[in-house]
Amino acid sequence: MTVILRILIAPLVWLVCFSAVYGLHALACDSAFGAFAGSSTARIVLLVAFVLALALQLAIFWYLHRPNQAAPAGFLRFVTRASAWTGLVATIWTLFPVVALSTCT
Amino acid sequence: MKALERHRKLTAIWASEEGFKGWFSTVNHNDLGRMFLFTAFIFFIIGGLLAMLIRVQLATPHSAFAGPEIYNQIFTMHGTVMMFLFAIPTFEGLAIYLLPKMLGSRDLAFPRLTAYGFWCYAFGGSMLIVAMLFGIAPDGGWFMYPPLTSAIHSPGINTDFWLIGITFVEISAIAAAVEITVSVLKYRAPGMSLDKMPIFAWYALITALMILTGFPPLILGSVLLELERAFGLPFFQADLGGDSLLWQHLFWLFGHPEVYIIFLPAAGVISTVLPVMCRTTLLGYGWIVSAAVALAFLSFGLWVHHMFTTGIPHMGLAFFSAASTLVAVPTGLQIFAWIGTMWKGRPEMHLPMLHILGFFFTFVIGGLTGVMVAVVPFDWQAHDTAFITAHLHYVLFGGFVFPIFAGIYYWLPHFTGQKRFFYLGQLAFALVFIGFHVTFLAMHWVGLLGQRRRISSYAPEDGWTAINLISSVGSFILAIGIALILIDVLLHIFTAHRGRRNPWNAPSLEWAMITPAPAYTFASLPHITRRDPLHAEPDLAVRLARGEGYLGTPRNNWRETLCVDIASGKPEMHVIYPTNTRLPIVMSAVTGLFFLSLLLKFYWTVPLALAGVAFLAWRWVWRLGHGHDPEMQPCGHGISLPNAATVERSPGWWGSAFLLTANATFFAALLFGFVFLWTVAPGWPPPEWFAPSVTELGTGVIGALVAPLALGHAIRVNRQGGAPFPSVIIALLGIVALGLACGALMWRAPAPTDHAYGATLLVLGGYGVFHATVAALMGGFLAAQIRQGYTSATRRAAFAIVRLWITYTSLTGLFILLAAHLPGLIP
Repeated sequence: MTVILRILIAPLVWLVCFSAVYGLHALACDSAFGAFAGSSTARIVLLVAFVLALALQLAIFWYLHRPNQAAPAGFLRFVTRASAWTGLVATIWTLFPVVALSTCT
Repeated sequence: MKALERHRKLTAIWASEEGFKGWFSTVNHNDLGRMFLFTAFIFFIIGGLLAMLIRVQLATPHSAFAGPEIYNQIFTMHGTVMMFLFAIPTFEGLAIYLLPKMLGSRDLAFPRLTAYGFWCYAFGGSMLIVAMLFGIAPDGGWFMYPPLTSAIHSPGINTDFWLIGITFVEISAIAAAVEITVSVLKYRAPGMSLDKMPIFAWYALITALMILTGFPPLILGSVLLELERAFGLPFFQADLGGDSLLWQHLFWLFGHPEVYIIFLPAAGVISTVLPVMCRTTLLGYGWIVSAAVALAFLSFGLWVHHMFTTGIPHMGLAFFSAASTLVAVPTGLQIFAWIGTMWKGRPEMHLPMLHILGFFFTFVIGGLTGVMVAVVPFDWQAHDTAFITAHLHYVLFGGFVFPIFAGIYYWLPHFTGQKRFFYLGQLAFALVFIGFHVTFLAMHWVGLLGQRRRISSYAPEDGWTAINLISSVGSFILAIGIALILIDVLLHIFTAHRGRRNPWNAPSLEWAMITPAPAYTFASLPHITRRDPLHAEPDLAVRLARGEGYLGTPRNNWRETLCVDIASGKPEMHVIYPTNTRLPIVMSAVTGLFFLSLLLKFYWTVPLALAGVAFLAWRWVWRLGHGHDPEMQPCGHGISLPNAATVERSPGWWGSAFLLTANATFFAALLFGFVFLWTVAPGWPPPEWFAPSVTELGTGVIGALVAPLALGHAIRVNRQGGAPFPSVIIALLGIVALGLACGALMWRAPAPTDHAYGATLLVLGGYGVFHATVAALMGGFLAAQIRQGYTSATRRAAFAIVRLWITYTSLTGLFILLAAHLPGLIP
C-alpha cells in the first residue's frame, strides 16, 4: 500500500491545496468577512497559501527523489517521480492566478 | 489428473445452476460480466431510440412531434440512460468479465457483491424505464439543477424517480468500484508485480478509485434534494439559507470526473487492443500509467468549469480554466504514446483497428473543442448552446463508444469461442463514422449560430432549419450503423464457426484458456514473469490446463484462489469463495423496497426494509465464519499459505477500507456543503442557533474515544489467547454513547424546515446515528461470533474489520459533534 501512496501523494496534495485555495478565495471575497473581503490582506493571505502549497510540493518532490525513499523497482520509481512532477507543475500552473489576477472582481 | 478430468471437476465446483434459475443465483464473474454488458446494451438501445426522437423533433421548425413536457422527458432520459445506465455499467461489465482473466485469478474479490451490484443496477435502471413508459420520467435535464427541480417548480414524482433511481443504481457503481480496486490490488497471479500488470488493469484500478471518490458528492446531492422535496429541508432554497449553487458544486464534483471515469476504461481498451492490432508492444507503458494517474487527479480540479457563467470572480474562474487546459497534457501524452505505438508497429486494418481510428479522429476533435470551452471568454459565448452538446458527444462517443466497439470486436471471439463469418461490421463502421460526424459537426455549427441546447422547437426565421435537418439525417445514418453492428454481433453469436483460441495472437492472459471461458476461468493459476505472458510462454494455456500452475488440484468442492502482496505479487493468502446463492438478489430486492418506499412515500415500510437489509447483511457475513482454525493450505509449486480468515488484512478489510474511502468522501462533501452554506449562501445567519450542551458533547466525545481504544484492547487480548468479549462490549457501549449524542443533536437541532442551518445539523446528526447503528451492529456481530466460538487467536480477521468501522464512526462522530457544539461554546 505504501507504493500506491507514494504514487498518489503529490497529486493528492495538489488537489487538497487547490480546493483549499479556492475555498480561501471564496472566503476572501465574501462580504461577511467585512474589511478583509477583497482587501490587500486577502491578496496576501492567498499569496501565502500559494507559497505554502508550493513549498509542500517541493518538499514532497525532494522526498520522492531521495535515493533511499524511491520505490525499489524501476517502473514504480518512474511513476512515483512522474506523479511528483504532476503535483508540482499542477500547483504552479493552476494557482498562478493568485499572483496575476484581481482578487474579487 | 488429466486435463479433461480436471475440467469436469472444476466445472462441477464453479458452474452456476442450470437454466434460467442460474441467472438469479450465480455469483460467477463470467455470468455477471455478460449480464452487465447485455443489460447495458439494452439501455444503450433505449438511449439511442430516445436520441432519434430528439432528432425527429428538431428536424423541422415548429415541430408538432412531441410537446415540451414529453420532449423534456425524452432528452432527460437520453442523457440519464447513456451516462448512468450505459457508460458506467459497460465499464463495470467489461472489467468484471475481463479482470480476473487478465490478472490470472479465478474470480473477483467479492463474488456475491458483484451479483448484488448487478441486481441493484438492473432494478434501479428498470425503475427509470418504467417511469418513462408511464409518462412520469424525470424531466429536469440529466443534471437536475434546482430550483427548476425543487418541489415548487417540479411538483410531480418525475424528479424523485431520478434522485432515488440513480442513487439506487449508484450502489452498483460503488460496489463494483470496491470490487475492482481490491481485485486489482490483491487478486493477481503470483509473480504479477505492479509493473507486470496488464495496462487495462491499471486503467480499471484508477477508474475504480475515481468512482469511489467521484460518486459520493452526487449521492449526497441527491439525498439532500430528495430531503428538500419530500420533507421541506431547504438546502437549495435561497430564501431559507440554502443555495442552488450548492447543487451545482456537488453535481459537478461528480460530473466532471465522470467524463474521465467514462474515458479512462476506454483508453484502457485502446492501450490493450492497439498494440495487438499493430503487432508490437505498447510504447511508453510507464508514461501511460503516469498520465492516467495525472488525469484522474486533474479531473477533480475542473468541476467549476461547468459553472463559468454563475458569477464567480475572475481569479476563481482562472483557477479552473488553468486546470482545464492542463488536463490536455496527460490526455495528449496518451494520444502520442498510441500514435508512437502505431508508428513502431505494423498496423493491420482489422475491424477493431477501424474503430480505434474512428476514436482518434473523433476524440481529438472533442478534446480540442474541450480546450476551447476551457477558455472563459469563449465559454461565456458557447455556454448552454448546441455547441456544448456537440462537444460532449465528440468526447463521449469518440472517447467511449468507438473504443468499446473496438473492444467488442476484439473480445467477441473470447465471449463466444467463434470467429466472424459475415462482414457487416466494416459497412456498419462506415455508417457510424459518417453518421456521427454529420450529426454532430452540424450541431457545432448550429450552436455557434446561437441555438440553445434543450429547446423543443425553433422558428424558420432563426436560420437553423437546414443544419438541423442535416444533423437529423446524420443521426439516422448513425442509428442504421449501430443497428448493423447489433446484427453483425448476433450473426457472429448464432453462426457456429468455431474459432481458434487466441485469434489475434495477443500477449495477455485472458487468451490463455479455452473460449468461451469456463466457469472456473483457469484450471490452475499461472506464475507471471513478464508483462506479455503468452508471448513469453506460448504454451502457457496448455500447461495451465494440465494443472501445472498453482491450485491445480480441485479439492473439498472449494472455489479457491490466491491473494498476493500488492507491490511484489508474492503469494500471501489462500481464499475460499462462497458458492451460488440467491442472497444477493434478495438483498437487492429488499434494498429496492427501501428506495421504492421513499419514492412512493410509504414511510412505514422504510424501517422494515432497513431491518431486512441489516438481517440479510448479518446472514451474508455469518456464513463466512469458521468453527475451527483453518490449516495452512498447500497451493502448488511447494508453497503453503494461510487462510484469509487468519490474517490481519483480509480481503474484507481491504474492501472495508475502500468502501470507507467513498464514505469519507461523502462525509467531506457534507462538511463542504455545511461550510459553503454558512459562508456563501444568502439568508445567513439563521434565526436560531443550536444550543450547545457540555453533557451531550462530553458523552459523545468519551464514547468516540473509548470505542476504538476498547476494541484495540480486545484485539490485543485475543491475539494473546485471552477473552476479548468484555472489551468488545465496552467498545459497543462507547459507540452507543456516541450514537445517543448524535441522536440528541438531531432531536434538538433548530427547526430543520425553517432554515438550511437546522436542516444541515439534522443530516449531520443522522449521519452519526446511522454510522453508530452500523458500527453497533458490527460490534454485536463480533460479540456473537466470539460467543459462538467463531474467533480465536488465529481467526482474527473480523476484529480488524470491525475496528476499521468503529474507528471511522468515532472520527466522523467527533467531527459532527464538534461542528455542531463548538461554535456555541466559543465565546
